[in-house]
Amino acid sequence: MVGSELDALRNKFSGCRALAFADLSTKMILITDSDSNLRREALDALCGEATVLFGAKGKPALGERQSNAACVASPSAFRAFVRAADEPNDVLCCICDPKVDAAAFVTEARACVDRISRGA
Amino acid sequence: MSDFNALAKKLAELASNDEVFDAGARVISEGGTPAPLAAILREVDDTVLERKLALESAGTTINLIASGRRLRGILSVTPDKKSNVIGQSLSREEPGTVQAAHDLLHELCGDADRLTVRNYAPEPFGQTGERGISAVGLSDLWQVDLDEAPKPPMERFLTANATAFSSLLHIRQGEVVATSGEIKALKAIWKSQMEDFRKTHKKALSGEDGPQLITLDGALEEGASAAVAVYEKDLALIAYQSDQFGRMQSSWQRIFT
Repeated sequence: MVGSELDALRNKFSGCRALAFADLSTKMILITDSDSNLRREALDALCGEATVLFGAKGKPALGERQSNAACVASPSAFRAFVRAADEPNDVLCCICDPKVDAAAFVTEARACVDRISRGA
Repeated sequence: MSDFNALAKKLAELASNDEVFDAGARVISEGGTPAPLAAILREVDDTVLERKLALESAGTTINLIASGRRLRGILSVTPDKKSNVIGQSLSREEPGTVQAAHDLLHELCGDADRLTVRNYAPEPFGQTGERGISAVGLSDLWQVDLDEAPKPPMERFLTANATAFSSLLHIRQGEVVATSGEIKALKAIWKSQMEDFRKTHKKALSGEDGPQLITLDGALEEGASAAVAVYEKDLALIAYQSDQFGRMQSSWQRIFT
């Protein structure tokens, strides 16, 4: 079920390269989309970046409050990290082409991680 | 500038291959570079045979009639816009009309994030013999610098998105170079968190370098969001409302990718 949610999101955006569902409490990637060919090191790095951006133990790494969605845009990629509304340790980590429609993608990614987290 | 030099400059510009097209329309100003009014006058200056120039920005189209490197006037605007200057020939003898044309163009696209042009066959406009005003002449009258040097990318990004920011703290090599809005929270972040955050983030990226726009939704009090834009020696800490996220990202992509 989780895999099909990830595949559906990836299929919806041609600029989406990889999706990974992670548990921040254990800092582990639990599942990726079926077309993802990221190596273990890359997945660990993705999860590590999510940890850095969201901070730890309720303390934000940057800002006054912990964020619910963090994005990093660079010339080579657009990475988005989106937390589930009800379970902030459930995070969807996404790698997209740098020119993806960022606003539309993040909106869909939020809905996707919420559905996964609720087990819908 | 002599006519020979001007001609050589035009030929060099025409020969360059750095033009960008968007759905068939040529992009003449992006992120405020060059300034939209300067971009319009450059197009007029490049138009020798009579043409209709259809300028488009954010859903508004302005049709100009240009000929002989002169702007004859504004033919029409869509969506429909009420203005006495539309359909009027420009003449130095009518400074009020010339100023009204400037004001209308400035209102419609002076702050355009992206301005495009399409060239069409001319349409009937004004009376024969009403030649309009040269682009160079208009640049004097409107005080528009046609040879303005392009702004650095970070400055273009910050200028193009100024209205999207609630507040801004722009730092270059550790020195504050510009601020806007209430920056108390941004200053606190800069002083107490930024260095550690950048160090840790860089480590997590295994050395990935280059321009970055990091956005943290809802990271500030009262639901505001925070962003960090990094390019070479410039760093901008930004507070913004979430509904501006898409605009900022689009602008960043156009300038930096």
